[in-house]
Amino acid sequence: MTAMAGLGIAVAFKPGPASAEASEIVVCNWGGAALEAFQKAYGEPFKAKSGMEVIIDGAGPATGAIRAMVDSKNVTWDATDGGMVDAVVLGKGGYVEPIDYSIVDKSLVGEGLAAEFGICNYTYSNVLAYDAKKVGATAPSSWNDFFDLEKFPGKRTMCKWIQGQLEAVLLADGVKPEEMYPLDVDRAFKKLEPLLPQLIFWESGAQSQQLFRDGEVVMGNIWHTRANLLRKENPDYTWTWNQNLMFASAWSVPKGNPAGKKVFDFINSSLDPESQVTLLRLMGNGPSNPKALALMTDEDKAVYSLAPENAKSGLPISAQYYADNEAELQNKFLDFISR
Amino acid sequence: MTSFQRWAFCLTVPAALLTLCLYVLPILQVLALSFTEPTVGLGNYVALFQNAAIGRVVRTTVFVSAVTTVLTIVMSYAVAFALVHMPPATRRVALFMVMVPFWISVLVRAFAWITILRRNGVLNSALVGSGAVSQPLELVYNQFGVIVGMVHYMMPFAIMLLYANLSEIDLRIIQAARSLGARPVSIFFRVWLPLSMPGLAIAGLFIVIFSLGFLVTPAILGAGRVLMVAEYISVQISSTLRWGVATALSTMLLLVVGILIALAMRSPALRAAFEGGRK
Repeated sequence: MTAMAGLGIAVAFKPGPASAEASEIVVCNWGGAALEAFQKAYGEPFKAKSGMEVIIDGAGPATGAIRAMVDSKNVTWDATDGGMVDAVVLGKGGYVEPIDYSIVDKSLVGEGLAAEFGICNYTYSNVLAYDAKKVGATAPSSWNDFFDLEKFPGKRTMCKWIQGQLEAVLLADGVKPEEMYPLDVDRAFKKLEPLLPQLIFWESGAQSQQLFRDGEVVMGNIWHTRANLLRKENPDYTWTWNQNLMFASAWSVPKGNPAGKKVFDFINSSLDPESQVTLLRLMGNGPSNPKALALMTDEDKAVYSLAPENAKSGLPISAQYYADNEAELQNKFLDFISR
Repeated sequence: MTSFQRWAFCLTVPAALLTLCLYVLPILQVLALSFTEPTVGLGNYVALFQNAAIGRVVRTTVFVSAVTTVLTIVMSYAVAFALVHMPPATRRVALFMVMVPFWISVLVRAFAWITILRRNGVLNSALVGSGAVSQPLELVYNQFGVIVGMVHYMMPFAIMLLYANLSEIDLRIIQAARSLGARPVSIFFRVWLPLSMPGLAIAGLFIVIFSLGFLVTPAILGAGRVLMVAEYISVQISSTLRWGVATALSTMLLLVVGILIALAMRSPALRAAFEGGRK
């Protein structure tokens, strides 16, 4: 909060119109280890190219925060690190600028990763992660096993935020990936209900890691980036790529951003394969630029959700579906799990 | 009005203006959203009463707040009562212990409770280790855990409020009761308790109001399984962008708190508490 207030003051007292001669790009992400990683992967290469400083603010670009900034005409962020769904929702509400594809080279990212109001900066997946010491001789290998309390007794964790939760439930219930959308919510709730007493819901990535470290859960539906950090700590924590749920994260540009069009130079630079591989190595966030694959070692590919081996059983999460239904669905889900 | 009183009044004007401009007006602005978002009208309020999910959130909030208030008041009264009866040196140490939690952030306290209450946490390990229970108890990520965390947060406030009240009670009245042959039990119920009503009333009101809007503790210790009003509002503001519903619910919460205060002020005990300073 103080950081945000400080930023607001800094912008308010900046001499002259901010957009005329922007000297810095302010990027907002979700903080933690991502502060340093974004600086290394995106900030430093961009500064070397353009001379412009990149400031990373870890305040968390929730759609509500962006809307509040735009509504109060006091925008301090140039680029925000949200999901592709957020980009579509914010675009529909008129809170973000369309991506200027005369500056940003659309062909740098893979198919379906460039949208009107957001372009994919990295990819990640929700995966079935587990504690190998606790699950016994055979490891869980599909969402079916997530529901199998006899073979794998113990608590599980799922996320309180809806994206990628019901897909796993429906896959376990036998829904074919190609028939996933629109989600059959009632069917998912029916399948999930008996499992509720065994579930702990996480709300932040750090918390999902902590549940494994504390030995509270034997398996969980968590981001592969967090599973990767857990495995680096202790190889007993690992995950299966089978039936992973593939997400695209995206840069968005809040309407009236301080650096104006300059932000698109930054966005274009962030799509550089080298930058993206750097981020993959630091955080596990996967490149959106297919050319990055050529720069990867086998070790890199093992944590890259779009590596052919990992992507083949993956289910791409439909951003459009969530853009249209998330608010309704999120409230239904919170109501369902708190009953 | 004497000229001194006029001067004193003038000195409060800048603070009042500042509060009005920087606090009251923005709040009204936010509350106005409840009538204009997404369309002009009373739609958000109608939705509040028709939505079964919001009804459940409100019920959970009222239940958790009520249990928290009762437990907090009972336990805090015991502590405050003990404080009043301690020798001064012991009391200083005890008061210090009561104040310690004030210095620790609510977030840290919630996570500390998780460490204590989780399945292989401090408490369950001790219970299972000593053979008291064979299976770890479900102490957190449910209403029980939320209530434990909230009671712990509220107790220092309630203890201070009750202690202030109890220490003002004239001990000669107790002596008089004793000299007239009252037993300890009847002294407690017929002298101490009636005289502590102002403190109990103000502490109770304070805890209820605080509990109704509690966000962090239920979110962390409830882990999705206990959804209270403040968290529901926060989700609507920051992620689903349903600001209309969120501000309507905030308005209702403000209204309920206002009504509670107005009702409470009608009781002689609470009026006495507020007028206690004027001697």
